[in-house]
Amino acid sequence: MLKILFLIFFISVNMAYSDVHSFRKVFPFDYKVEGLDNGLTIIFVPMQNNGIVSYYSVVRTGSRDEYEPGHSGFAHFFEHCMFRGTKKHPGGEFDSLVTLMGASANAYTSDDLTCYHLTFAKEDLEQVIELESDRFQNLFYQEREFQTESGAVLGEFMKSKTSPWFLIEETMLNTAFDLHTYKHTTMGFEADIRSMPTMYDYSRSFFNRYYRPENVVILIVGDVNAEKILPLIKKYYGDWKKGYEQPKIEQEPEQKAERNAKVIYSGKNLPILAVAYKSPAYSPINKVDVAAGLIGDILFGQNSEIYKKLYLNEQLVQRMDYDFGQNRDPGLWSVYCEINDEKNNDYVLNEIDHAIDNFKISSINEEELDKLKKRLMYSFLMSLETSEHVAGALARVVSITGGINCVDQYYNTMLSLTPKDFKEAALKYFNKSRRTVVTLRGSN
Amino acid sequence: MRKLILYSFIVLSFIMLNFLKSISQINSEILMPSPSDPIISFRIWFKVGSVNDPVGKEGLAALTANLMVDGSTSKNKYEVIVDKLYPMASSYNSKTDKEMTVVYGKTHYDNLEDFYKLFIDAIIHPAFNNDDFIRVKKQYINYIEKNLRYSSDEELAKAVLSNFIFEGTEYSHLASGTVASLNAITLEDVKNFYKTYFNKNNYQIGLAGNFEEKLNEKIKKDLSQLSDGSINGLALSQPKKINGCEYLFVEKNNDATAISFGFPIEILRNSKDFAALWLFNSWFGEHRNQSSHLYQVIREKRGMNYGDYSYIETFLNGGRLEVPQPNNPRHHQIFEVWIRPVKHEHRHFALRAALRELHTVVENGITKSDFEQTQKFLYKYILHYAPTSMIRLGYQIDSRFYGVEDNGDYIEYLRKNIAALTLEDVNNSIKKYIQFENIKFAIVTKDSKKFAKDLIDNTVSPVTYSTPKPIEVLEEDKIIENFKIKTDITKIKIVEVEEMFK
Repeated sequence: MLKILFLIFFISVNMAYSDVHSFRKVFPFDYKVEGLDNGLTIIFVPMQNNGIVSYYSVVRTGSRDEYEPGHSGFAHFFEHCMFRGTKKHPGGEFDSLVTLMGASANAYTSDDLTCYHLTFAKEDLEQVIELESDRFQNLFYQEREFQTESGAVLGEFMKSKTSPWFLIEETMLNTAFDLHTYKHTTMGFEADIRSMPTMYDYSRSFFNRYYRPENVVILIVGDVNAEKILPLIKKYYGDWKKGYEQPKIEQEPEQKAERNAKVIYSGKNLPILAVAYKSPAYSPINKVDVAAGLIGDILFGQNSEIYKKLYLNEQLVQRMDYDFGQNRDPGLWSVYCEINDEKNNDYVLNEIDHAIDNFKISSINEEELDKLKKRLMYSFLMSLETSEHVAGALARVVSITGGINCVDQYYNTMLSLTPKDFKEAALKYFNKSRRTVVTLRGSN
Repeated sequence: MRKLILYSFIVLSFIMLNFLKSISQINSEILMPSPSDPIISFRIWFKVGSVNDPVGKEGLAALTANLMVDGSTSKNKYEVIVDKLYPMASSYNSKTDKEMTVVYGKTHYDNLEDFYKLFIDAIIHPAFNNDDFIRVKKQYINYIEKNLRYSSDEELAKAVLSNFIFEGTEYSHLASGTVASLNAITLEDVKNFYKTYFNKNNYQIGLAGNFEEKLNEKIKKDLSQLSDGSINGLALSQPKKINGCEYLFVEKNNDATAISFGFPIEILRNSKDFAALWLFNSWFGEHRNQSSHLYQVIREKRGMNYGDYSYIETFLNGGRLEVPQPNNPRHHQIFEVWIRPVKHEHRHFALRAALRELHTVVENGITKSDFEQTQKFLYKYILHYAPTSMIRLGYQIDSRFYGVEDNGDYIEYLRKNIAALTLEDVNNSIKKYIQFENIKFAIVTKDSKKFAKDLIDNTVSPVTYSTPKPIEVLEEDKIIENFKIKTDITKIKIVEVEEMFK
């Protein structure tokens, strides 16, 4: 099987590369998508993985869905509640069973999703299906346990808030958004976190509204046989009732002018300059949007002119990074620079402007575009070594689109891009009126 | 008589042959071919680490290795290297710990030839340009002055603890050095250090994936261009004995207290007791796992923080990683407890709770059911430690370092040893290696003087919760809040955060 994998790897990069006009299967594994009557989607990705299976339950709810005032951070808090057990398998028993399996089990929450994941030996798959289906349908916890967990969440917040990067992200989101729930971080506002212990009833309604089969995708990756496993999925998840309620998220009005904010960090740190542009919602088939999402790597990545100038040659920045992530709703694409001396903040910002302005005129040349495409293909294929890698790489796009077709769609769109698409993308999205600039200063 | 001579000759030849074979085994490369794996992983192990940093030039080993991989070579400017690596989506890097430096990287089979040229060039022809030197050195200084001191109190506490436990030994400084020592390092120092330690007799090749034997031969040939030198061997000092409880407070205006504590333990992977102690530690504090007993006591029952764990081997970057990474093997290890930040008003209680658990397990051992559950857990859980060929290669290098004969698969070897354990083995290992009386503590907190006084006076430290707790927890709290820790005023040091790693 590994040999097959190798061949697929080899063929994918070279064939997809040699003929950019026909649709290619880039994702190197054969997968199967199944749906139950109640709306639950299951994606099987069989791969040889030393007898190990990864089981990811992707809930298409994250901090984006926290639209009610005073409840920021709740999706993340609720992730903790999901480990409290059920009447059939109370918290301690759930933990013991997972422990006995020797599973690597955890969960995470971000803006668009909450993901519960276990990686374990394939002989334990049925037990995992039983446990996961049980807690997703019959979660049960007392108010007291709920309140105790809120202490752990506050502890997590306290540990995170010592980082200047957390502070700048918090300030950036709060400044860039007015109405949309992307205004707050996934951790939430501190005041909301502190009042979490009083929200037991709300937590039950959160579960009833969002933890429904229509809003969940299960990814099963590794040594699995879909035909054998599907009946088990039907057996354990078949009775799960529909009932998903759409969150009432307000649309963010179009940003019409540049925004600015300054923030002081209580520790010592080099100044940080963050520049974020409003980004479109993820679309794997829109050429201009796919091109726009790659501009971060071209203009601010380690191979970019500005990186070489400011980091390697002039040595004015200690670090330059970008986050051009994919979001379900229009979000942010950000560039971060840690600057050696605050007096150079304006100079660095000017350089960023220059890079964008020049790109709007000259775009990318064919040779560089060729390198970029190769890089993206190799980067993707080399990131799929284990079942955890594969499931982890898929979880976000699965949460955004509800399926897996977007992977091949995205890479085919990417392979078809021309310099013209990049120029159009730069002109459309990278304008000062769409951006927010935040500077952080340490208490040096 | 002639027959006897002939016989002796045969026996002697046989012995010599085996001797030579075992020598070549020790110095031979570590090869893990897997023709169906499309990725090729390189790890070149140099027998040098921060223990070789000259006094006053701490950080030199790490800085030298870092400049090799993050700078120009005599053939290519660094920006050209970055350009060339870009379409391959490949990179190489270095890692320097106390006694080991690895230069490592991986690439897709398609790009092997192009990648290899850059990778080997970084090792044999580093340019050590002044511009690169200034840039990388500045990063190191910034890391200490800003990141380590301010951005994560728990990582700060761990770094402080390590230096505190090993003070007076070659282990007593961070691989990244101190602000003063980094400032004292010159480019000339880097060049000389490179010449001395990155020499043609002081490395071992590690390769995994779809490579052919001729690649190994090529690397050997290329590395023969390194300077001549000797195999590095440095006699290490023993860590000082700890007498009672010794505290190092880092005074900082923070919102929560970070605590790490521990003591040296004389056990390494090649010990017959290692698996037993590993199992104990897994029960007591498996890293970032809800099965950890400390986690259950402090986080699960009381919601005081985000987690509580323990270690019998170095675990770097614990805040970011779920499982340990290879290639930081050490001849001196510590038993360490990590209490993630707790509110200041809970610090005394949390410390007492953790120490009381340690006290209890040393006195009573673990129970049969805990043993059985942990044995089952670990037997499968350690499969997650080495998911990729790059990491498995790292583990094989560590096995070579420790002299573990694992037949090329450390994880399988450890699983087998875990499966063979008895409860008695585990409880004997606790008695032999773990204790609760002679401990060093590193505490990053606000108003250290008040905490120190509370410790000296054994002040009662009741806790109130914002949420109701079961009666059994509240009753246990009454015992914990009075738990005595023998603290001597002369064994308390308070240092301002600004002074750390100065």
